[in-house]
Amino acid sequence: MTAVADRVVVLDGSSVPDREVVGNKGRSIADMLSLGLPVPPAFCLPIEECRRFHAAGGELEEEAWRSVLAGLAGIEEKLDCRLGDPERPLLVSVRSGAAVSMPGMMDTVLNLGITEEVEVALGRLSGDPGFARSTHVRFVHEFGRTVLGADLEESAAGASPDEVREAVRRDTGELVPTHPLEQLKAVIATVFGSWSSRRAKAYRRHWNISEDGGTAVIVQAMVFGNLGEGSGTGVLFSRNPLSGDPAPYGEWLAGGQGEDVVSGTHDPLPLAALAEQMPEVHARLLEASELLEREHGDVQDVEFTVERGELYLLQTRAAKRSPLAAVRTAVDLASEGAIDSREAIRRVSVEQLASVLAPRLAEDVAAAAEVVARGVAACPGVAGGRAVADSDAACEATDETVLVRPTTSPEDVSGMIAARAVVTERGGSTSHAAVVTRALGRPSVVGVGEGVSEALAGSELTVDGSAGVVYAGRLPTEEVDPASVPGLTQLLGWAEELSPVEVVEEDDGALDLDAEGAALDEGAPDPAELAERLQGAAAARGSVLASAAGARAVLLAGVPRVVRLPGQPAAALQLRLAQEKGNLRERKEESET
Amino acid sequence: MSETDLDLLALHGLAVKKAGGAADVAAILGTEESGVAAALESAVEAGRAAGAKGTFMVAPAGRDWLDERYPEAYADFRADPEATEAYERFERINRELLSLFTDWQMMPAAGGERHPNDHSDAEYDNGVIDRLGDQHERAEKVLDRFAALEQRLGIYKTRLDDAYDKVLAGDKDYVSGARIDSYHTVWFELHEDLLRMLGREREEAP
Repeated sequence: MTAVADRVVVLDGSSVPDREVVGNKGRSIADMLSLGLPVPPAFCLPIEECRRFHAAGGELEEEAWRSVLAGLAGIEEKLDCRLGDPERPLLVSVRSGAAVSMPGMMDTVLNLGITEEVEVALGRLSGDPGFARSTHVRFVHEFGRTVLGADLEESAAGASPDEVREAVRRDTGELVPTHPLEQLKAVIATVFGSWSSRRAKAYRRHWNISEDGGTAVIVQAMVFGNLGEGSGTGVLFSRNPLSGDPAPYGEWLAGGQGEDVVSGTHDPLPLAALAEQMPEVHARLLEASELLEREHGDVQDVEFTVERGELYLLQTRAAKRSPLAAVRTAVDLASEGAIDSREAIRRVSVEQLASVLAPRLAEDVAAAAEVVARGVAACPGVAGGRAVADSDAACEATDETVLVRPTTSPEDVSGMIAARAVVTERGGSTSHAAVVTRALGRPSVVGVGEGVSEALAGSELTVDGSAGVVYAGRLPTEEVDPASVPGLTQLLGWAEELSPVEVVEEDDGALDLDAEGAALDEGAPDPAELAERLQGAAAARGSVLASAAGARAVLLAGVPRVVRLPGQPAAALQLRLAQEKGNLRERKEESET
Repeated sequence: MSETDLDLLALHGLAVKKAGGAADVAAILGTEESGVAAALESAVEAGRAAGAKGTFMVAPAGRDWLDERYPEAYADFRADPEATEAYERFERINRELLSLFTDWQMMPAAGGERHPNDHSDAEYDNGVIDRLGDQHERAEKVLDRFAALEQRLGIYKTRLDDAYDKVLAGDKDYVSGARIDSYHTVWFELHEDLLRMLGREREEAP
């Protein structure tokens, strides 16, 4: 870190500044740089400047602005290009970054520095004037929305920047400045100002976060994956996030730029394509991913861009993973010594374990069954029942039902609660039925086509909400053998070692908490109160024991055995107990130090 | 307000709510409970509603009656270009909100798959909550427009604000919980309310 004219911090890896100084994002960039990894050059207005900004009545002080200009000159020198220069244009991103992330803060403005001339230059450099145009339009749109507060519709394809400027003027009465430095100043002021937005204030009030803090502003050079040969963009997972396989997994879009990854306009290639095209870049990327994984002790999801053969890492974070991969990677990381077994147990949630072990249709059963409808898999799981065409029937039924509706509305919620599964004729993965069934945990298939509701009413069905298929008849589901899940046997072994409680099938002397009126209902159970009830019991059973509070109570009371109820997988109880044991031990360790 | 207006309004509110007591219906209409209770009782007598132990439901005859009454009762509203324009804005926010609720419940993962959100990733959740805040601010503007045309619709602004405030305070169920007055629940009641007033059908996202 180097101070330029005192008021900004240049992020160059020479030291790692404190989170309280440069915020989370600034810290994350500094971390990558200090590992020697390639990151686009950046500087930061520290959190202190946010306080000064507010103390000065919402104005950026002259000295701070001079420091921003010096910081910008540093980036320009490093990359040999300039903001607003039509020959060698520099574009920057401007982001907020508090030490604690909170809602209501202005997040990001991308592509700052694009002007009429720069648009032409970017079109020439990328060989894609359409891309340059849409980058320009997006910038004006984003500036109008976040800085000037315009409520804009998505810009129509082919709209010009001037048309968007005009829409902003109509909505707000204000003009989008055309000079990049003026834009930069306005964006910085907006980020600092957003610290006092209604939402951010409400959030801090709710969470007792001090008003004295603030947010940093990160200004970083943008890099482009669409500047001809040897350019592209992609994402790399340090391990396979679907299966948990230790081999890195990723996607490469040759000649693609940021938004292309999300919009699906380019077909991504496997990482092997990058290895073939630019073996050195590929090797460097894998090294970086390994380094980052070791540094963070967790599977990383790394966004990267290659600009004319130069690799840049844009962001790294803990990778989202499937429940299957969560189990396998936690066990592998612990076996490799990157984390300890207690941490591995913490990495797998009971919900993930339940999902891995959820009963499913056997392949041969599904293959032999008659498919009566297909649609969008909206909420995973398998359940069956008698098809009913309206919600009242589902509410009144005494048997298990499947609600089959043309579409659902708030009127149907009680029926959706009563039914075991839901099918709708219309709608996609964001429809009302999809949203509500996921909230309720009811397997659902949506968008199966007109007329299905009437045709199926009265018949027995099985709904596979994971595959998006509805079968005729009630099909048997099969349990998943824990031994067939990679890593699970080891994980449960560690859980047993850690937790002093045995999970058993039967125990005549077990205290039955459900019978004692302490069933798991909507309210949060109190561990201390439960522990008192459990005091001295030789064994315990109850729906509440599947919860974290229940597991904690068992440990606090020193109950040696837990009897599993039907529907409570022994593995889930075991994992919960081990997690809570780990938490209790950690607390003890903390209080001792 | 004449008695017949309240008869219509109370039954309309009950249809939006599906089932409930006079207090529930009064809450979504933003009006006095006693008047609603009387109107619901007379709806039961007229065979337009069924009720037991203070909980009411719209009877089939009540649905037909509502469908007959709507075009006349909301003729001005339906003919007002400002209402149509505000509704179009509402629809756009609606589409954003629906995909937001999906993101809340199902996290995007590698390979274009989605996994149920177990809410262990605070950064992800905060991002979605922030988007909800953006949409909430847009929604407030639209509700101001609707409330200028039909005053009682202003109550939805309060109800949405209550839900959003609970979310900000960490009560994450208030994003899309189905059994409570979550943002999603209130938003869908508002949608149903508007559809009935405007005589439109619900369009589902593709």
